[in-house]
Amino acid sequence: MAWFSPPVDNLLYRCLSVSITVWLTLLFVFTIVPAVLGVSFGIRSFYIATLLKIFEWATLRMEMGAKEKNQELYKPYTNGIIVKEPPSSLRELRGSASCLRSEPEFEMADIFYFCRRGVESIVDDEVTKRFSAQELESWNLLTRSNYNFPHISLRLAALWGLGVLVRYGILLPLRVTLAVSGISLLLVLTTLVALLPRTELRFYLSEKVHLMCYRICVRALTAIITYHNRENKPKNGGICVANHTTPIDVIILANDGCYSLVGQVHGGLMGMIQRAMVKSTPHIWFERSEVKDRHLVAKRLSDHVADKTKQPILIFPEGTCINNTSVMMFKKGSFEIECTVYPVAIKYDPRFGDAFWNSSKFGLVSYLLRMMSSWAIVCSVWYLPPMNREEGEDAVQFANRVKAAIAAQGGLVDLIWDGGLKRAKVKDAFKEEQQKLYSKVLVGDHDSRDQRSDKCSEGENDKDAAEGQ
Amino acid sequence: MGALQSAPGHQEYIDLAEKTGFSFEQIGVLHKRFKQLSHNQETLRREHFNEIPDLACNPIRAQIVEAFFDRRNIRQNGGGTVEEIGFEEFLVVMSHFRPPSLHMTNEQRENVRREKLRFLFNMHDTDNDGTITLEEYRHVVEELLSRSGTLEKETAKSIADAAMLEVASISMGHMEPDEFYEGITFEHFDKLLIEFEIESKMNIRFLNMDTTTLCK
Repeated sequence: MAWFSPPVDNLLYRCLSVSITVWLTLLFVFTIVPAVLGVSFGIRSFYIATLLKIFEWATLRMEMGAKEKNQELYKPYTNGIIVKEPPSSLRELRGSASCLRSEPEFEMADIFYFCRRGVESIVDDEVTKRFSAQELESWNLLTRSNYNFPHISLRLAALWGLGVLVRYGILLPLRVTLAVSGISLLLVLTTLVALLPRTELRFYLSEKVHLMCYRICVRALTAIITYHNRENKPKNGGICVANHTTPIDVIILANDGCYSLVGQVHGGLMGMIQRAMVKSTPHIWFERSEVKDRHLVAKRLSDHVADKTKQPILIFPEGTCINNTSVMMFKKGSFEIECTVYPVAIKYDPRFGDAFWNSSKFGLVSYLLRMMSSWAIVCSVWYLPPMNREEGEDAVQFANRVKAAIAAQGGLVDLIWDGGLKRAKVKDAFKEEQQKLYSKVLVGDHDSRDQRSDKCSEGENDKDAAEGQ
Repeated sequence: MGALQSAPGHQEYIDLAEKTGFSFEQIGVLHKRFKQLSHNQETLRREHFNEIPDLACNPIRAQIVEAFFDRRNIRQNGGGTVEEIGFEEFLVVMSHFRPPSLHMTNEQRENVRREKLRFLFNMHDTDNDGTITLEEYRHVVEELLSRSGTLEKETAKSIADAAMLEVASISMGHMEPDEFYEGITFEHFDKLLIEFEIESKMNIRFLNMDTTTLCK
């Protein structure tokens, strides 16, 4: 049978080589060249518009399917599950009890009130729901975001199957190829640029190289980014502050401008990339041991900011990834440095792919694979006007002001809670704050209560004494 | 391909709905919440409750969390507590806070009221002997007042004592010198709180979904 195989092999080889050549040419023409030059063919916008139409059709079919079977479609509650009673209702509750004069009613009212509030927090609290992915109201043909499995008709299942083929068979390999080429280009070119002497030319080239590689990475994720208010783009000698949803935030922002990144030194591939990047532009990488030393961190950041030739620093003050429905407490460290702060709000459109990295559920590699097998990543970036710390404002107040501005622009909920609650318990200091609020309500009544209870027990004691107990 | 979301099976929900009185929608929502709290495991444990920041600030959080694991509240026989609860038990405890339906007969209303009162009573009566002794009552009041940082334990104790004396005088009337007041029984508890409209005040209000839009 040996004479039979060569022709088949030849045919196979020819097919493979032709398809690979076609593939690579298409890749080169439609993605890499535009990335290098910074232009766009508009293919991605067309793709998005088509996808939207398909999703609408899919959701409609599901609703019809559910109606036929006379069942209800499961729709997520985006505004919370329950109506929470306001804290002032404790007064009302007591008010109704105050018409009764005896002691136990006061305690009962409080216990009841706290009992109900406790159960309300168990059913729906502002914090724990921010650490899992946001739920969608329509279906985007991804299994991972579907809650209405029984309602999928045959046609819909076929469409979904086609979607899987397209995503895993065509899009994923394409994207992986792009990502790999983007990263290798970055490594090679930054090393080359680093060989040049420190001149204007080197700065210019390193900027171009970084921008080009980030553009390729953006195309590798099929990210469609709309930048608003570009006149407010961060300038040298400032700090750029943004809400954090995923590690991809860096790529999204760096696609439009050059920033100095701040972070820990990693090993492996990440470490290599970090070392390559720092050769041509000044990034701030910390050793693990240095991270704990806050003064050292602050000093390095201030030094960087003081040098006006260096690019703005990019910092994510939340410290952890949040699911893009809210903005959590900003850590004050970056707001203590004396310089202009450029806030940036990033909002992802969850219909095309959920960008949130749930680090307790997925590792980085599986997260990236999920990203690359979604339809697309669509987001909006708003550059907000620069802010400075005002007279008499401390770092915490300044941080909260910036946070409020970002939340307002991005349409996110502004929370005072710390993102670190994902992994740690509530700090005692915060608990004490809450307790003080409650005690204000309580103490006022207790003074009058104390007097009455003293009189009451005095009365009883006298009676006991009199009866010789 | 990403984690397959398990769809709410309508059959199980029918049983749960009958048992607890929640609607399918509410059960679905609570099930999601259960999975969120338990990190997608089958059972909830006490440490899962301790992760809720809002609850951490509540002065009687220990009692509330214990209430979820109390055998009496999850309708199991015997006293004491369990270590972990499943979704069904979670729902049973939550049903104590179910909002009352609009059309209820007086008898139903009375039943609902007694159920909610029972929940509160169990919260106080930790040794399950049917009475809230001075010790037990004192314990709860102390937790409430001293954890809120308002008062010292001693002051809280004296307030509890005074309150107990008042209760004794209300329920027993005049006491003989050698009579000993054992504690508040459930009937006394009921009488004490007769003025409070527990059936309308002690419940959680669910946001209503506009069901008309679903059936276009």
